[in-house]
Order: sequence, then C-alpha cells, then structure tokens
Amino acid sequence: MKLVTAIVKPHRLDEVKDALREIGVNGLTTTDVEGFGRQRGHTEVYRGAEYQVDFVPKVRVEVVVDDAEAQGVVDAIVKAARTGKIGDGKLWVTEVEQLVRIRTGEMGPDAL
Amino acid sequence: MGAAPDPVGTLRAEYEALERAYSAGHHGVWAARRRAGLVDVAIAELFARAGAPPGTAVAAVGGYGRSLLLPRSDIDLLIVHEGVDGDVVSGLADALLYPFWNVGFDVGHAVRTPEECERARDRLDAEAAMLDVRAVGGEPSLVADVRRRVSSWAGRDPRRFVAAIRDDAARRADRFGSSAHLLEPDLKEGSGGWRDLHAIELIVGVVGPGAGGTALLRSRERDALDGALEFLARARSALHLETRKPSDRLVLDHQPAIAAAMGFEDEPRLIAIDGLMRALFEHARQVEFTLRTVIARFLEEASESATVPTTTGAALGALADAAEADREPAAALLDATEDLDPPEGGAWTDDERSAFLRLLRAGPRGSASLEILDRLGVLDRLIPAWADVRCRPQRDPYHRFTVDTHLTATLGAMGRILVDETDDDPVRAEAVKQVSDRDALLLGSLLHDIGKTGEGGHVAVGSRVIGPILQRIGLPDHTASLVRFMVSQHLLLPDTATRRDLSDEDLILDVAAAVGSQERLAALYLLARADAEATGPAAWTPWRATLVRELVAKVQRVLERGEMGPEVAGELAARMDRLRDLLRDAPADEVDRFLSRMPRSYLLTVEPDRVARHVATIAPPVGAREVRAVHLEGARAGASELLVVARDRPGLLSWIAGALSLAGLSILSAQVFTTTDGVAVDVFAVEGAWEDEIPERRWREFRGMLRRAVEGTISLEYRVNEKRRWYPAPSVTVPVTVAIDNGASDFATVIEVGAADRLGLLYDITRVFADLGLDVHLAKVATYEGRVVDSFYVRDALGRKLADDPADVERAVRRELA
Repeated sequence: MKLVTAIVKPHRLDEVKDALREIGVNGLTTTDVEGFGRQRGHTEVYRGAEYQVDFVPKVRVEVVVDDAEAQGVVDAIVKAARTGKIGDGKLWVTEVEQLVRIRTGEMGPDAL
Repeated sequence: MGAAPDPVGTLRAEYEALERAYSAGHHGVWAARRRAGLVDVAIAELFARAGAPPGTAVAAVGGYGRSLLLPRSDIDLLIVHEGVDGDVVSGLADALLYPFWNVGFDVGHAVRTPEECERARDRLDAEAAMLDVRAVGGEPSLVADVRRRVSSWAGRDPRRFVAAIRDDAARRADRFGSSAHLLEPDLKEGSGGWRDLHAIELIVGVVGPGAGGTALLRSRERDALDGALEFLARARSALHLETRKPSDRLVLDHQPAIAAAMGFEDEPRLIAIDGLMRALFEHARQVEFTLRTVIARFLEEASESATVPTTTGAALGALADAAEADREPAAALLDATEDLDPPEGGAWTDDERSAFLRLLRAGPRGSASLEILDRLGVLDRLIPAWADVRCRPQRDPYHRFTVDTHLTATLGAMGRILVDETDDDPVRAEAVKQVSDRDALLLGSLLHDIGKTGEGGHVAVGSRVIGPILQRIGLPDHTASLVRFMVSQHLLLPDTATRRDLSDEDLILDVAAAVGSQERLAALYLLARADAEATGPAAWTPWRATLVRELVAKVQRVLERGEMGPEVAGELAARMDRLRDLLRDAPADEVDRFLSRMPRSYLLTVEPDRVARHVATIAPPVGAREVRAVHLEGARAGASELLVVARDRPGLLSWIAGALSLAGLSILSAQVFTTTDGVAVDVFAVEGAWEDEIPERRWREFRGMLRRAVEGTISLEYRVNEKRRWYPAPSVTVPVTVAIDNGASDFATVIEVGAADRLGLLYDITRVFADLGLDVHLAKVATYEGRVVDSFYVRDALGRKLADDPADVERAVRRELA
C-alpha cells in the first residue's frame, strides 16, 4: 500500500476531489496547511498597511491506496491540480507498512 | 434466607417494570419520584433487617433526598449515628450497601454524627446535598437534627451562601459550558441544566420565597422552572436508558434516539433533533436567566432604579444607561421591562431606535443586554424575524452556538474589533478607518445570519427579510443600505478567498463589481472577522486569514484604481445585455459559455456590435497550430479591423506584428487578450502602408506569412531586417523611453515603451519580450505623428509579475531600439 500526499492550491481541491472520485478512490483526508517552496512569501499591502506573508496557504491531500492504484491516483491529482503557474504544489508517495480500519479491526488492503 | 424476598432484587424488578411501563422519552418527574419511593422501601426493609441499634438512622441526600431518581442516578445515603461503636456502624453500613452493590446499583454513602455533618459542610456540594436530607429509616429525630444544623448554618449568612452558589454556578459554566446553546451540552452540570435548577431551589429554600417585599421568584418563573424540570428529567432519563449509563452529555450520536423517544418529529423547517435541541435551549435559557435574576434580586443593594420605565423606549434607555456605565442592569429594571406590554408590531419610536443603537455601541455589556432582552421576550417584539433564529441549532463543522447566540456574539466581536488597538491584524485598522457608519457595522453584525430560518439558502432568505426589519427600525438610507449589503454579501469574501483562484484577474474584477466601493469592502472584511471570531477557533485560522486578506488587498486596489466600481460594473452588465440581444439567434448557453471565457477587459474595450462580429471566429475550439485571421471593416475609412485567434504562446504577438509589417500593413492600435482557456484574441486596427484601400492580396500575404511563421518555416527576423534596409531611418528624433511599473496591476508588470515610429517597431519590441520568456497579456499600441507609445501588460513564463528589479528587460528593449 502507498500513501499519496499532495500539497495543492486551495482552489484546486474540488477538482482533485472530483478526479479522485472518478477513478474510484473512496476516501481521502485534507488539511489546511501553510508553507513555502519556490513560491516564497511576499509582502501584501492594504491601503498602505504593509504586512509580510511568510507562508502561503495550501491544502494537503492524503490518500492511502493499493500499490496497483498508486500511479493512477498520482496522475489524477497532478492533472487536476495543475494550473501551470507558480505554486501548483508538490506530491510524494510513501510506503505504508500497516493499515487498520478502527471500526472492524480489518487490516492491510482489506482496510482500504 | 431463601424464603424472605430480597428487597434489592425486588427493587431491581420494580425499576425494570417502570422502564417497560413508559417509553424511554416519558420518564419525567413522576417516574423519578416513583423510583425514589421504591428505593425508600428497599432501604427501610434492609435497615430493619440489619437490626440497627438505637441512635442510628439512614437518610437520603442529594437528588435522592429530593426524591428525584433518574434511571441510572446514584443513590446517595447518609448514615447518621450518635457516637455508636464503630464496628456496629460499619456492620450497619455493610448490611445496607452490599445488597445494592451486588446488584449493580451505584450507591454513595457517608457515615456521620450530626456534629460531623455540621462540620462537613465546608464544601458547597456537601452542604447542598445535606440541605436535601430526608429520613428513610431509623430515628427521624436524628435526621431532623442534621437538617436543623445545616440549614440554620446556611440561613445564618444567606449572602455568603448565595454568593457561594453564584461562584459555583460560574465555575460550572466555565468548565462544562452552557446547556442553552452548545450542540453537545451537559444536561446536568452545564449552565441552565439540572444543577442550576437545583441551585435556584436551594436559594429559595434557604432565603425563603420573598425578601424585602419583592418576590424572589415570580410566578411565571416558577411555572417555567417546573416545565424545565420535567423536560430535563425526561431528557436525562431518556439518555440514561438509551446509553444504559448515567450519561449526562447529550452527544450528537444520541440525539436522534432521544428526539424520537421524546416525540420530536421532522417538521418542514425544523428537523426532529433540532426540535429537541431548540426545546432544550429554551428551557435552559430560562433556568440560566432565572438563576442569575434570583441571585441579583437577592444580592442587590437597595434598588437603585428610582423610576420604573413604562415604555419599551424608556426600558431600552435604562438598559443602555446601565451598559454605558458598565454595570449590571438592576433586577427591578428587568422585572419592569418584562411587565411592559407594548403594542405588537409597527415602526420603532425614536426612543426605541436611539436606545437600541446605544446598546449596540456599548460593547460587551451591550451585547449582554441584548441577550437579556431576548430572555424577556422584548427582542422578538422589536424584530419579529428574531423568533425564527432563536435557539436554532447549527450543524456544521464550524459553528458551536445557536444562530441567535452566534449573532449576539458577532455583535460583541465587532464591537471589540472596532476599538481594540492591540489587535495585530494589519488590515483591521485601515479597514476600520474606511467605514464611517459604525451603526451599520454593528447592526449588520447582529443581523447577518437572520436568514438562517431552516429554509435553506440563508443568504437569500436574509436578503429578503432584512428589508422589512430595517423599515421598522427606520434608519437613515446610507445605514440601511450598508446593512442590507452586509447581510446579502457576508459570505462573499470567505467563500471566494478559500475556493477560488486569487491570481485570476477577472475573478478579482467580479468581486470588485459585487462589492462596489472601498467602504463596503472594508465592512465585509470586518464582518468576516467578527463572524469568524463568534463562530469558533476553526473559523479564523492564519490559513483563512491570509487568503481573505489577499483577496481584500487585490479588490481594494482594483477599486482604488477605478478598474472596477459601480459605473464600470454597470457598463459591463449593459454591454453583456446588449450582446445577448445582438446574439439572440444563437443558443443562449453557447453565448453564456462565450461570455464566461472572455476576459472582462475584452468585453469592456471592444464594443458589443464588434464583439458580435468576433464570436464566429473566437467561439469554435482552436487547434494547437491553428491561426485564424479575419479582417473586418474598420471604425473609420481606410482603417481595417484585424482579428487574430490562435492558442496563446510566447512570441505569437511578435509573429503577427512581423507578418503585418512584411505584408505592408501598418498597425494603428493593438489590443491583445487571453481567454480563460488560453486562446489569444488579438484585435488590431491597421491601415495600408502604401495605399488607402488595402488590397486583398496584402491580407493573403499576411495570412500566409503568419501561418509559416507559426509553423517555423520562415525567419521573420531575417525578412524584416532585409526589408528595413531599403527604408530610411525615422527622420524625427524621438528619445526612446522605457518605463516599468510593477504597482499598476496585481496581475502583470506594465512596460511602457516610447519611440519613433519605424517599420517593424512593434515586432522588434515584442520579439525582445518573447526572447526574455515574457508573455504579453494585454497591449495597447498607439501612434501619434511619427511617435509611438506602447503599453504592455506582461507576465513571466510562470504567470507572475516580473521580479522587483527588472533592469534586464529595460536594457534589452533599449538595446533593440537604439
């Protein structure tokens, strides 16, 4: 099993959700996060009041999937989250050692 | 042993029979008393069988002492003795308690002499429990002695006693929250719950029903408390029976079962669980408020309100006086206010309006006064729509309070935000300066969710009901219209900021059009903050704050620069209407799709009748290497309009400019736009370089040249330079100017280039941009008497504005034009 973690622009979340639903992913977790990559922080100005925005708001999407489905999930997220502009985010895939459905106690791929 | 029936076994059977006899939602006060009676019988029997020695007694205390036992309540016993031998007493305790413990009843106990009881009341809960002491077995005189000692001690210093109750209630409210608006309330310990009810009874019991001529408890309040007791007994009993445990927190999971058991059903605008919670909140509010009022009536020094208000206006005025002086309103004032019976409905009087606005301005005390007015039923009369949001639960991940509590909390938050100089929000202070009409901000905060009436779409409902409310209040036009705007647009900023692409210029223009003015933008921002603050900690995280502020800053600049505003928005709407009319023969959804693809700047610069001529060229999907070029009749004689449509790519504009110049066509002006789906729409005004009427062959030549340039089969650069050799350099001396402005737009860097006109000038400039990887997003080209001034809105390859020091760009342009 793999954990696919993606950092995407907040306004692409709906697209990502729809794309994953379309390929049959039936569960994901999202978190509001802040950070920076190449798209550093910047200075905002409102009526002369300047303030520094150090971290850029993003959404973290996490999906645990079977090995065979991981690439499909990666492709779907990348396609849905891409705007072509700076700050589209990143995605990484990690190995999942164990998975338990808390309600039933099912383990491994059964718990997906 | 075997022959005599086991009293606790019998009790267990009786409990179960009682459970079967009534459905889970109907175990009220009667059933609670019945249970206590059954326990009395069992204890008396066990006490008798234990062969208790003289000088001992067993008494019920706490809830059992009050004869109120819910299905899983603890049974609290007090074993009283007159210094009897320790072994004997512990044998008695064992004989009484073990049978209960063996069968699984929770029994709490204490063993004391009457003197020890008197000493044990250092804790309020022990004292309160013993005030309810009731003899069950043994010598009644012993129990009477206990009661006399404890209650005379409490009665000796009733102020201390009442103050202790007040402090204890405050501690509980702090720890368990309120049963009057929390979605998962603690029915026992929460404020407005079971313990608060008991606290009122204790005060009345110790102090007596009247003090100083005024009743401590009014008869209406007595009735309300009886109703609350019955409701809470049923709800708590149902929860005990549902969970098979002495649970008192009414969590969401259990609400459907409890609601069904108590007979709540789904109604059109109120689902069953909301009906349950609403009923609970109504009762708990009465209890909370009555406890507070009873304490205030008792503790208040000689009543200070000399004049008793006789009109709602006067009552509101007196409340406002108290709020402004930062003191609790006198109990006598509240009683008088409650007794008012003003005529129903109609416009507010001047007194009512001015006093109400004073309350809104009075900060935390003011919003507390509004809650008092709600409890007294005055708010409903002033604002009838308030009844629809009263005690209405909200079920979403953010809200913790009922709608009306959220509204008064939003008012409180706004009051604070307006004056709190320690607030570190960088946008707040400037926004506060922007809004001159604070009454509108406060009233808009109080009423922003007035549409949450269970009819769905609360913003739409709110926009509908706010009109009549404002009319009744009778506010100046400016205030009324700002309040109306706040109610109808209060979600605009947070929703747009968190769900839409803030780097989309058209989105910012649309928000600016909806907002219309800098004052309104500031009002919405302040409301978004107050709303979030009153909702819960999850509603205004740094994450959301950053997004909302970015949106506000961008919209602010668009409004400041006049790129959008009421006039522009009106103009845009008028042009779209006109265009729809011109295109009325085309399917409406195709027209809508076209309009949504086109940037606002295109619709605002190109006249509708010209847009109508463009649709056929722009609308069909454009292939990767496809180039469409159409020339149309120009705005004036001799000039033609040229429309070029192709997939946007760096260099496209330079190819068009180069091909035009090679074909002998001069550019008078150029406007380039990009659709939302990445298609370049370039509109040129051109004239023949050599003849007044442009012959068809020049268009053919242009199209062929452009197509081959796009395909990469010819070098435009070579051809333009070749051609230029045959023409003299410009005769007028015009200095080359390059001005780069990063502040003019949030979405692009504006580069303005001035130079003498010459063959292929636009080609030269745009080729430099293409070489630098810059994308021209909008261009305005104008030629005056041999001098050209061109402005370009450019972005880098990643769609950003240029870096802060774009000296490279300036140098490259200058080198090219030198």
